[in-house]
Amino acid sequence: MVDSPGNRISPVPVEVGRANLHDVRVRWDDRHESLFPARDLRLLCPCAVCVSEDTGERILVPTQVPVGVQPLRIEAVGRYAIQVFWSDGHSSGIYSFDYLMENCPCPLCRRPVSPGNS
Amino acid sequence: MSADRSGPKRGSKPLAMAGGPPPPRPAPTPAEVRESLIPGVKYVIPVASGKGGVGKSTVSANIALALAADGARVGIMDGDVYGPSIPLILGVKDKPTPGPNGLLPVERYGIKVISMSFFLPPGEALIWRGPMLSKTIDQFLGGVEWGELDYLIVDLPPGTGDIQLSLCQKIPLTGAVIVSTPQDAALRVAERAVFMFQKLKCPILGIVENMSHFLCPSCGNREEIFGSGGCRKTGERLGIAFLGEIPLDTQIRIDSDRGRPTVIDAPESPQALAFRQIAENLVARIESQAKETARSGETRITF
Ligand SMILES: Nc1ncnc2c1ncn2[C@@H]1O[C@H](COP(=O)(O)OP(=O)(O)O)[C@@H](O)[C@H]1O
Ligand SMILES: [Mg+2]
Ligand SMILES: [Zn+2]
Ligand SMILES: [Zn+2]
Repeated sequence: MVDSPGNRISPVPVEVGRANLHDVRVRWDDRHESLFPARDLRLLCPCAVCVSEDTGERILVPTQVPVGVQPLRIEAVGRYAIQVFWSDGHSSGIYSFDYLMENCPCPLCRRPVSPGNS
Repeated sequence: MSADRSGPKRGSKPLAMAGGPPPPRPAPTPAEVRESLIPGVKYVIPVASGKGGVGKSTVSANIALALAADGARVGIMDGDVYGPSIPLILGVKDKPTPGPNGLLPVERYGIKVISMSFFLPPGEALIWRGPMLSKTIDQFLGGVEWGELDYLIVDLPPGTGDIQLSLCQKIPLTGAVIVSTPQDAALRVAERAVFMFQKLKCPILGIVENMSHFLCPSCGNREEIFGSGGCRKTGERLGIAFLGEIPLDTQIRIDSDRGRPTVIDAPESPQALAFRQIAENLVARIESQAKETARSGETRITF
């Protein structure tokens, strides 16, 4: 990673699409797949309204997010992120690919790292 | 083609944004900003540096002019909120005029020019912060009718802070150019710019070494005052292409100071040839990068 930042690029989605009616599926170019339940992705919103810029703490109160919240539309931002337009009117979150990768909810990614567990 | 010179008189308020508050139009949404640039502009090339004073604006202007001299349609966007200097370097005296779908850039030496200085009240740039500044940036990005362009060169503010990041986040970037001087200190901060673009998944097209060496005007001898070659080595270490070097040369400064950049004023001089060679290398890098992107494919959004 450190030796060649100019050329080395971490995984990028091949496709951001639907897993079902409302949930979001990200297919990565390293063949990994991430499935974000719609509301979980809304709760992950990294924008300044949802996360304190000073402390990095999450300000967004989950109980204030409608249970049935869903993405209405998703747009690419440059070559590094997506912007999600939500049914609750929120759309200021720019989800970088790296951020999505870090927050992949799959068991493989969530598995706690322990020695000898490669 | 050029802006109407007989237009608004001095003293009268020529445009809503000139020397006054930002235009009353609502700030474009991020999507509108992207849309407004995407259809007509083929390649968007941000030019960045770790710190100010390394010649980023001088290099941006001369590269833009060299590309245009080879027949390309070129625009230059001066996004340096701290010290917008492109209008001075290009000797631009006109202000942009409003068109049906946004401001029409000023034309100068065959390239289209928009500068943050057209939007910011003189002397007040530094106190602009937060939402106000970001709103002005959105106006600046989304409210301009660039038309059809092959290359849009973006002169970024020096450094890698929030403004640089948010500017880059809002524009669909093709690949970045880093300008540095060969000193170690400058190179270390230039590396931060490299990391910023990496975060944005924006490829680095290459690094330019400015004020690389000194050509003695009387004997023509080359002196390596800062230890030339630093950028090439840093580029090699980071896996970044080396685009070329520009000598430290008083004439380059004089040309910029009087609004006639070297590539325009003395196109066959060794100094201009250095800029033109860099532009040529840059085009080659852009083309190979475009092929790479086509091969690896863009992210498809099917939601
Ligand atoms: N290669 C060069 N030789 C001599 N002077 C230069 C050279 N490049 C830039 N300058 C001068 O150095 C100063 C800073 O350059 P500028 O392009 O404004 O830097 P930046 O945009 O990085 O702040 C200007 O006065 C400019 O004319
Ligand atoms: Mg400058
Ligand atoms: Zn949010
Ligand atoms: Zn995973």
